[in-house]
Amino acid sequence: MAPEAGQIRIRIFGVLFILAFCVVAVRAYQLQVVEAPELQARADQQRHHVIKLAPRRGTIVDRNGSPLAVSLEVDSLYADPVLIQDPAATAKKLAPLLKTPQSELIRSLSAEGRRFVWLQRMMDPEVADAVRQLRIPGLAFVSERKRYYPQSAIGAHVVGFTGLDPRGLEGIELEYDRLLQGEPELLVSTKDARGRGLASAEAPIQGGASGHNLQLTLDRSLQYIAEKELARVVRESEAIGGTLVMLEPASGRILALASWPDFNPNLAGRYKADERRNRAICDVYEPGSTFKPFLLAGVLEEGLMTPEQTVYCEQGRYSVGGSVVRDHRKFGDLTLLEMLKFSSNIGFVKLGKKLERDRYYRYLQSFGFGSKTGVDFPGEVAGLIRPSSRWFEIDLAAISFGQGISVTPLQMAAAIAVIANGGLLMEPYLVETVRDADHQVVRRRLPEVRHRVISEKTAAQVRQMMVAVTEEGGTGVRGAVPGFQVAGKTGTAQKVDTVTGGYSIDKRIASFIGFVPAENPALVIAVTVDEPQGTVYGGQVAAPVFSRVAAQALNHLNILPDSQVTTLPVVSAATEPLPDLAALLPVRTPADGLVMPDFRGMSYRQVLQAMERQGLNLKLTGSGRAVEQYPHAGESIPYGKEAWVRFGA
Amino acid sequence: MFDRRLVYHFDWVLLLTVLLLAGVGIVNLYSATTNWPQGATPIYLKQAIWLGSGLLIAALVCLFDYRHLQYLAVHAYLVGIGLLVVVAFHGRATMGATRWINLGFINIQPSEAIKVAIILLFARLLSKISVPQGFAIKDLWRPAFWLLVPTLLILKQPDLGTTVMVVLIALTMLVFAGLQRATIIWLAILALVTGALGWFGLHEYQRVRIRTFLNPEADPLGSGYHIIQSKIAVGSGGFFGKGFLEGSQSQLSFLPERHTDFAFSVFAEEWGFIGCLLLLLLYLFLIAWGLYIARRASDPFGLFLAIGVTAMFFWHIVVNLAMVIGLLPVVGVPLPLFSYGGTSMVTMMIGVGLLMNVSMRRFMF
Repeated sequence: MAPEAGQIRIRIFGVLFILAFCVVAVRAYQLQVVEAPELQARADQQRHHVIKLAPRRGTIVDRNGSPLAVSLEVDSLYADPVLIQDPAATAKKLAPLLKTPQSELIRSLSAEGRRFVWLQRMMDPEVADAVRQLRIPGLAFVSERKRYYPQSAIGAHVVGFTGLDPRGLEGIELEYDRLLQGEPELLVSTKDARGRGLASAEAPIQGGASGHNLQLTLDRSLQYIAEKELARVVRESEAIGGTLVMLEPASGRILALASWPDFNPNLAGRYKADERRNRAICDVYEPGSTFKPFLLAGVLEEGLMTPEQTVYCEQGRYSVGGSVVRDHRKFGDLTLLEMLKFSSNIGFVKLGKKLERDRYYRYLQSFGFGSKTGVDFPGEVAGLIRPSSRWFEIDLAAISFGQGISVTPLQMAAAIAVIANGGLLMEPYLVETVRDADHQVVRRRLPEVRHRVISEKTAAQVRQMMVAVTEEGGTGVRGAVPGFQVAGKTGTAQKVDTVTGGYSIDKRIASFIGFVPAENPALVIAVTVDEPQGTVYGGQVAAPVFSRVAAQALNHLNILPDSQVTTLPVVSAATEPLPDLAALLPVRTPADGLVMPDFRGMSYRQVLQAMERQGLNLKLTGSGRAVEQYPHAGESIPYGKEAWVRFGA
Repeated sequence: MFDRRLVYHFDWVLLLTVLLLAGVGIVNLYSATTNWPQGATPIYLKQAIWLGSGLLIAALVCLFDYRHLQYLAVHAYLVGIGLLVVVAFHGRATMGATRWINLGFINIQPSEAIKVAIILLFARLLSKISVPQGFAIKDLWRPAFWLLVPTLLILKQPDLGTTVMVVLIALTMLVFAGLQRATIIWLAILALVTGALGWFGLHEYQRVRIRTFLNPEADPLGSGYHIIQSKIAVGSGGFFGKGFLEGSQSQLSFLPERHTDFAFSVFAEEWGFIGCLLLLLLYLFLIAWGLYIARRASDPFGLFLAIGVTAMFFWHIVVNLAMVIGLLPVVGVPLPLFSYGGTSMVTMMIGVGLLMNVSMRRFMF
């Protein structure tokens, strides 16, 4: 090879080598500059191991601020297997405390290549303390939040409950889950390619946002009264269930909503779905005679009759569409007022004929039957009214006295509220305000008028007639509240026998619906008692419940009697013996000689924890540190007295 | 024999460049292996010992005039072949391949040594023949034979990376010597045919590697793992790098083979694009200096020797870097002076010794 050729080739090679290096450099530029952000993100993603902690779920309080659902800080225990010296010995110590099989613990504690293993989440405070005392290196706690319902069964059907995650599973907890949920806190640990966490025992917690807080329209005291009285009537009449709806007719605010059987949301898993269902919203029934005021309102609104006009009631026996309609007594000519007061089926069958099926159907729709009320509660049902084109003569007759249709107790309460408030259908609701974690109002609910159903005049006329029901001689005289004028209507509906498909011979739903004070109604209360034994009449079973609940509620709301009638001794919610309710609750009946602990100086949260631990049902007032309590520390909690703790600055 | 001029013409530039690169490499190995279990001699220290041994061997290589080495070329070649045969029958298997001979106190990899033997042999061969028009295809049967024997033995181990290196070094030397146009065409056809046939002759793992290279994301946790992790490490370093000992991908063991074939990824993650550029320039300087030595060589044998050694460096550097940054499939080629490995270090230092030898004796006739 010629030397010159060698020199040239060396240069050519040099250029080629430089080019090759340039390709490498360009590629390095592409990776390290152009694609760097994306590749850095991938690197981070590989490196971080994220454990989601239960978020700070928002609280639910009643309209006065009493907590109905809170999130308590509880400890969750985890282990760093790398730091555990002796898995077997550690497991032996932990097993009895955690009530977990030793073998399972050994497996967790000696997990290969992991530096984070949950041992127990959301544990009892005393168990956590006991584990802390062991001082085992490699065990650590992280604070999580557990849902707790301080009022136990009170308001349970409204508030609902959550799972452990905690996601709302029923009730308000479900309906407003997204608002309550909040964002989970993240326990972030760095890990290497083998998944080994590199964080020390205390991993950093990142992010997380508290959920929104809800204030309900519910009043804890009214709710307590409602549940207590419902429980009492169910027990006394040996019924299988019942509901009580209390709402403010002018606004549609639901003040109390009780459903029996009840349940303890802190132990929701132990109850059947049947017991947890809110029957006032999610179940239908045939209303019977309590339905009559709506037909009456239609007839008056249409001007078909005046209140003074009479209808001949056929002496208690009336043939219609091949069937016979009977009254419980023989009536001759009755005015509209008397027909309602004595609840004449025959009279109302004739009114139904007068109003005619299409118009009657339209009125029923206008009162809200056959469609959902729109309440902010999951699982509401619409009930059923068949279209009037499919009503035969007998159907029109049956619907005229409230059979052959299905409605929910809440629909009934909302429809009666139309008569109480002067003719407007209000949308019932449960959540008054939504506040964010800083207690700023995010959303405030305003009463919503759906439409006008009847004129004020008609409403006033029906109202007056309903007052007669609770007066001397009326079917609902036991619904009367001393000192107040009560407008009401009784109902004793036949239940459909699910086996035969026809009406049952003996199964009834006794109900009473009404409002008080009649002239300026503050409360609509609808009571249903499912299958009472013995006495089945609404006027005898349900009306007294209305009376007792209304009396206590009016007292609680400081609504003064509208006439100087001697007031019966009415017990207020505050002094009402608590064990009355506690005894009815299927769980956590206070054992004899339950001793009041010393709460003084404790925080609200600590007291709530103690309550949960010891199964106490205490009335908590104020805020700050506990300053006063009843009974005193060490004294037993007697039956018939409410135990309370007061907080102050 | 020992001439004053040797001292006078000692190539300090070459020595300093090599020491700088090896030094950076050792520092980088320190970072790549910090989280390794304590105990045995740390990798970076071992590499330093290898560097020291390499320097001694390089000095030894410098002692004798390289011109005497051409008479040893055939012996070296035969010894190399002999060792490869021994590997084939008595080698120590690691990771599914038999590449090592256990000498009791040390494991050696004859396929590395054969690179130097081939360079010596080809330098001698090419410097003897004078073909002004370049090689015709019929002139190539002898070099082809010399090349084929060790190539097949290494391929059988199997060690695709070294095979490719040996072939590339030899081809570079042939191309430098000059090939007729027809020869180039014939070789291109031959390469295509071998490539096509070779695909079927490849071991399954080798085929997987090539497929993986074409689409690494198809199996990110399996065969694509190396290449993806290496790209993530290099790319996440960004422009300025994460800093010494701060490379999360390297430190947290995501990066495989980070002390050997993927040592550059560790460097790239911790020193960023700036660091990469500087290192590339340093390597490029070494290559350029090799060519400069070749240019100044006093005889054809020295020229070809320097070209061969430079080609060895060049191909190792380029193929390793291209592999690490995802431009080439993963073939096991170490980065000279940078990746951990005794045999590789010693081989490269012999190469450095040869370059030094040629450089020092450029004025001696």
